[in-house]
Parts: sequence; C-alpha cells; structure tokens
Amino acid sequence: MMKFRGLLAPLIGMAVAFGGTGAGAVDVKEITTPRGLKAWLVEDKSAPVVALSFSFAGGVASEAKKERGATSFAAALLTDGAGSSPSQAFRTRLEDAAASIGFSASSDRLSGSLRVLTATRDEGFELLRLALTQARFDSDMVEQRRGQFISSLNQESQRPGSVASRTLTDTLFAGHPYASDLAAVREGLASLTADDLRRRAKALLVRDGLLISAVGDIDAAELGRQLDRAFGDLPQGAAQPLPPDWTPPTRPRTVVVERGVPQSSVQIALPGIARDDPDWYAASVMNYILGGGQQSRLFNEVREKRGLAYSVSSGLRTYTKASLLVVSTGNANEKVGEAIRVIRAELARMRSEGVTEAELADAKTYLSGSLALALDSSGSIAGILQSLQTDKLPRDHLDKRAALIGAVKLDDVRRVARRLLRDEAMTTIVVGKPVGLTSDP
Amino acid sequence: MLRRRAIVGGLAAGAVAASPVSALAKLLAVGRRPSETFTLANGLQVVVLPSSRAPTVTQVVVYKVGSADEAPGQTGIAHFLEHMMFKGNAGGEPIDFSRTIARNGGRDNAFTGFDTTGYHQTIASDRLELIMRMEADRMANLRIVDKEVIPERQVILEERRMRIENVPAALLDEAVREQLFGRHKPYAMPTSGYPDDVKKTGVNELTAFYRKHYAPNNAVLIVAGDARPEAVRKLAEKYYGPIASRRVGPRRRPTEGPGDLPQRVTRADARVVEPGWSRDYLAPSYRVGETRHAYALQVLARLFGGSETSRLWRSMVVDSKLALSTSAGYSASSLGLSSFGFNVHPAPQRTVAEIERALGDEMKKLLDGGVTAGEVERTQNQLLAAAVYSQDSLASGPRVYGTVLTTGGSVTDVDEWPQRIAAVTPADVLAAARHVWRDDGSVTSLLTPAAGTR
Repeated sequence: MMKFRGLLAPLIGMAVAFGGTGAGAVDVKEITTPRGLKAWLVEDKSAPVVALSFSFAGGVASEAKKERGATSFAAALLTDGAGSSPSQAFRTRLEDAAASIGFSASSDRLSGSLRVLTATRDEGFELLRLALTQARFDSDMVEQRRGQFISSLNQESQRPGSVASRTLTDTLFAGHPYASDLAAVREGLASLTADDLRRRAKALLVRDGLLISAVGDIDAAELGRQLDRAFGDLPQGAAQPLPPDWTPPTRPRTVVVERGVPQSSVQIALPGIARDDPDWYAASVMNYILGGGQQSRLFNEVREKRGLAYSVSSGLRTYTKASLLVVSTGNANEKVGEAIRVIRAELARMRSEGVTEAELADAKTYLSGSLALALDSSGSIAGILQSLQTDKLPRDHLDKRAALIGAVKLDDVRRVARRLLRDEAMTTIVVGKPVGLTSDP
Repeated sequence: MLRRRAIVGGLAAGAVAASPVSALAKLLAVGRRPSETFTLANGLQVVVLPSSRAPTVTQVVVYKVGSADEAPGQTGIAHFLEHMMFKGNAGGEPIDFSRTIARNGGRDNAFTGFDTTGYHQTIASDRLELIMRMEADRMANLRIVDKEVIPERQVILEERRMRIENVPAALLDEAVREQLFGRHKPYAMPTSGYPDDVKKTGVNELTAFYRKHYAPNNAVLIVAGDARPEAVRKLAEKYYGPIASRRVGPRRRPTEGPGDLPQRVTRADARVVEPGWSRDYLAPSYRVGETRHAYALQVLARLFGGSETSRLWRSMVVDSKLALSTSAGYSASSLGLSSFGFNVHPAPQRTVAEIERALGDEMKKLLDGGVTAGEVERTQNQLLAAAVYSQDSLASGPRVYGTVLTTGGSVTDVDEWPQRIAAVTPADVLAAARHVWRDDGSVTSLLTPAAGTR
C-alpha cells in the first residue's frame, strides 16, 4: 500500500542544482542528421540501452467530427504489423530484439517511444521505420483493437476517477475539440475502417513539427544514421491545424454524476496559466504550496488535520490552447461537502493572504531539485527532454531553471494567486453519491 | 489473477532469437550492477548499489514484516504503523518527516505488502547523511500518540475506500484470497485491513507491533545511486550502529492450502460493465512447497500467457477470438505459498463455459505435449533482457533486493537469478505445470454485471 501516490507537482523542467549545493549538469546536445532531422541527445553509458522519445504535431483535438477516436486507434495499430511482417511476426521480431515500441495520443500530439539494447539497435530502429512508414492495418488486427478500445471505454465508465476527469473536460470544453465527445468517439470506434485509420496515420506522421529526444548508449553520428533510417522517409507534410482559442467559464458550476460507490471522486478546476506566461514560475510555486506535495496546505488541512481524504492534490495542466489548475481528491460520500468547503476556503485564503516567506523558501528548494529526482532511467530522461521540446524551451533550460524559480518573489505569488484563484470561474465535478450535493440546474 | 506487488526480474521486454544460444550468452555476459553488502554488529544487513547517472541517492529500509504477520482481529496494523512512521514523536521531539525531506529537495514514500514494509527517500547525494540519520531515528525512537492516530485512522479508511471498496475487482480479489489461502490465514487477510479491525486499532496495539518487529536485525538498508560503499558504511555505523538488536520471533506461514479446494467465487456488482474471468492456483514460492519449480514457473507464466505472442493470447485472442485479452502471472518471491494465475477478459457474448473449455484445451495441450526447446529459449531471453533493462533504472535495484531479502532470500539469489532462469529446461517447465495446474488447488472467479444503480 503506497502512502502517497501521484501527489508530486506535475511540473516540467529539470534541476541541475540542489538548493545551491551544486551538482552535475545534464549535457544536452542538439544534432542535425545528414537528411536534415533535428534531435536532442544525452549520451549516457550507464547501461547498454538506448531510449528514444518523439512526437508529431497534432493529436486527438485535430480529428474531424466524423473520425473521432481515429488518432488513438491508428496509434495502437502502428505496432500491429508492418512491412512484410504481420502482427504476430512483427511482435516476435520486437521480442527477439528485446525492443519495445509504443505510441499514444494526447489532445495536441501523437507521441512515440523506442527502447532497445545496444546489441540490437539496428533491428530496433528498422522496426521503428517499418511502424512509421509501412504499418499494415490488417483487418483482423483492426477488429481486435476495435473490440479492446470499446471495452476499455466501458471499463473507464466503471471508474469514478476516470468519469470525473472526462466530465471535467466535457464541462469546461463543451463545443471545443478538447472535449472528450464520448458519443462521437463511440460512433467512430464502431465505424472507422482500415482505410480511415491509414489516412489518419499518414496525415499525422510527417516531418513538419516532429520532435525527437534520445538518451543512452549512442553517439551523435550513430544516432544521426539511425534517425535517418527510421524517420528519413517520412514526407515533409504539414502539421495539423491548431484548435481554436478556448473561452474559459465565467460563472461557477457544480456537476454531480451519480455512481454507487462509497467514496466520491472530486475535481475542482479553475482556468490556469500558459506555459510561456511570464508568471509561470510564480504559478508553479503557488501550486506547490497549495497542493503540490505531502506538505501542501491542502494536504495539511484536508488530510492531516481532518482525515477527510487519503489523497488531495493540485496541479497545473497545459494544452496548446488552454490551461487549467485542477484540485483532485476522494472523500467518503458523507464527507464530500466538508472537504469541498475546506478546499474552497484554502483557495480563498491563498488569494487574500498569499504565502509566507518560509513557504516560498521551501517551495523553491523543492522545485529546484525535484526534476533531478526523476532522472531514473534512459526512458524517463528522454521523456523529460521531450517535454522541454514540446514546451518550446531552450536546450540549456536545464541550466537556467533553478534561477528562474529562485527569482520568484512573494509579490509574484500574491499577484498570480489573485489572478488565478477566482471563485467565479470555479467548476466542481463530483462522481459518486455525495450527501447533500446536487448539480447546478 | 490476484493482484501483486514487486516481481523479481519482472515481465517486460524480449530478446534475441536470430541465434538464441549466442544471444543468451551475450545477455548473461552483460552482468549485474556492482553491489556491495555487509552486516553491522547489531544485525542490520546493508546493500550498496552505486550508480553515477544522476547526482542523487536513494535510501530504502525494508523490514521483515508485513500484513501476513498480523494476528486475526488485528488486520491492517502493519499498514497503519507504516502511516504512523511519518507522524510519531521521535526522541521526544516532534518530527515532520516528509516535510524535512521536501525542504531539502527530496521526496519520500513507503509501502506495505504481505511480507515486507518499506520506506524510501530520494534526494541530492550530499544529503545522504540527513536521510540516514532520520530513518535510523524512527527505527528506534518512534512514539505514537493518540492525537495523531485519530485523524490518520480516517485517512487509512479513505485509502481503503479508494483502493478496495470503490473497485469491484479489488473486492473480488479479497474474496478469492480468502478461499485460496483460507479465511484468517496469511495472504488472505487484506493488507489494508478489515475496517472493523482498523477502527479498533489504537496507540497500544501499534506501539506493541512496532516494538515487536522494528529492529536493526529485522531490517535491510539499501543505498543506491551516487554513493560510495565506504561512505555508506561509515554513515551506517554512525547512525544505525548504536541501535540495539532485539529478539524477533520466527515468521510463520502455512505450508499447505485450506484443503477444501477447488472453489468458485462470483461477484455480481451493479458497477461492473465488462465481465472478467480468473483462475488462481496455489503454487510453491522460493521458500515454501516444491520450491524446485520456482524458476520454471516464471518461464511457464511468460511462455504460456505473459505477452501478445504467448500460447494463450494466440489461441484465445488471435485465433478463436473468444477473449479480448489474456494474461498469466506468477511471483516466486513470497515467504509462504504463492499463486499462479490466469486472467481472461471475455469477448462480448462469450460464455464462461466457452472460456473455460478453451483455456482447458490449451492447458491440456501443454500438459500432453510439453514445450519446445525453442520456445523455452526465447522466453528465457525475454526474461533476461528484462533484467538488463532493470539495470537502466535506479529504482529497480532497491526494489528487487528489498523484496528478495525480506522473503528469506539472499544477495546471491538476486545475483544468480539470470543463470538459474537460463538453466530451466523444457522438462522442468512441463514438470512445473503438472505440479501446479491441479483442480484441487484452484479458485475460479467471475466478475459480472448485476442489476441496480451503477
């Protein structure tokens, strides 16, 4: 039984110094391959392993209405047979190379990863080339994945936390492509054909907007050769169109979805802050103090003092065209009302009083160091680099991040708290059987 | 299939069959990460796993106690105590363990399993002394007070609602364990505890449990990352060395099942949309039962149901399309008996009878015809490749050593795991399947939708 889970601040960036004590920097190189692809590389010979993280511009939100569901569906099929190898043969080749290749879609991007041993690197990159350029979309695999996708949507509808997340996006993004639009997705999953999926993959898998990060036992020249092999044949193409701007809500709203569970899942959302906003670091500090860890105000007030929850946290979420601050918790049905009151009171207190010098200092220390703690494996480091690239941060961001966090002042936090923590923009989602709580009409 | 925690070796990637024999040799030659072990005079075993990847260090202290060491009527106390380890007044001074770690730029957490309770921190390597001092302090000086126990009990009950009571599959899992291991027996009593027991657990019970099990001679200290073995030894002597050892009683585990198997368990739940079918067999572990099968069972689980190219997946998902997915699982790292399990997610409109017949046919095919040398070798390569990848992760070394060393295993057992897996023959796999796949050692379970409010 883990004591805590998923409570750490979902911030992107990497620290190179710990509270001023100094530690080794991460050396990120940028390479350009002979065929003109760009990539970030961290060479690291700790293990005979190479990890690649990459993404294409365009995700679920760029789907046309009639092809809802196609991005994730197509992504799954990229590793279900390619070139002359049908699914079982392709998977056997992957296993025999001790390689894994995976794809997944978010609202704004289609992401992929490769992990392979030094000894089987050629075969790993060759299989990636086949997946990217010659996926088969065989009808038996299309049907197998269709059945699994429909079933997993059904399973999600069993989980209060998943239902709360989906209800939150559907409430906030109603009419915008960031809404999950479940009915259309179900229709799409039922009717999309192999040709539809092939077309969707072709539209997404282009060099325009492609970002690549590599970590592990490989040098720049060899990486260049391997990337040219895997990605060089993709067409230049054009990145998918961006979604329209999002208009945040201007009045509070509560939505209750009834489910027969003893513990309700609760999400409270406010409009957040864009990643390139000058106040991003002040907002990160504020979020950490509010609900970013095991010593946050919410953790202390909701869990430690009152025992109202096992898990309570807040996080900043960013999309290309939207941003949110979301507080999540789970409470016994009869305690939901009290928990929500305590959370709202803490948001109001931070808005009116800001934070203390001591809280600010602690937050800076933690946030400066937190990313180095995530340097666990080649794959996790490649993932961090990929996030930096997606956020359009410079390669030396790793060297600058501690200073950016260190420069945040009390007044900055107060200003950003006043800007973000506004009752009139609050959306509250509860999934369960909360006592004394109903949806707004 | 029962839910599990850490599995030694893990089931992840695959490996090299172009020339299987040479590939196997190549993987073995890669070798394991360098480790250094020693034991302090008070009995604390120490393992150091150096790595220079990042300027960070991870400390893990695992205790040889878990929920399977609880007495009936006191379920959940091992987990409750784990929570209190973050709250107690150590040495008479109020502590705020996690806050101090975070103030120093680190993060920490803990876990409770059936056989193991563990505490871990990751932090900049120049703060190793701080976390060793703090962890040693709460090994010896925890003081549990009512003021902290009362709200924490509510937190624990909320944790149980989130993990178990809100999740129909987890409730079914508890019912299966009661049948498979026998009511009120180790591995049947839930780690989170029965709510009635948790409600009556207080300061006296928690303190007694702490005194009984938390001692240097009942723990293992693992330090991984950017740390030199000599430095770790010096700090361990300084902070853990002075803690007195204590007499710790033997850990008891049944060597046999309840004797009234096979059983069937069904949970009809209005919250369920997609049905699930499972079967679990009592199985030997590294410690109990016919332990000679423990390595072959790991090969069997992977070969039969561990991937999308396994026999079960090809038969039931690809060919007959009776299932949307299948899996098999087995973990040898248990101080008592273990289990070997199958999960089948039936395709729409398929009946339990069809699923059971198809699985039975596939099992019979293996029992009658055995397995080929080729498929055993491919499976071994996959398991060994997973061990190579685990060297690429700082977190995985402490996890593996922590599990093995608290379930009666040794450092040698960890280091020789690849060789022992590589030594498994097709005949061993067949003998293991024949030993474990017996109806009189199984519980079959079904999760199914029911009428009512979702």
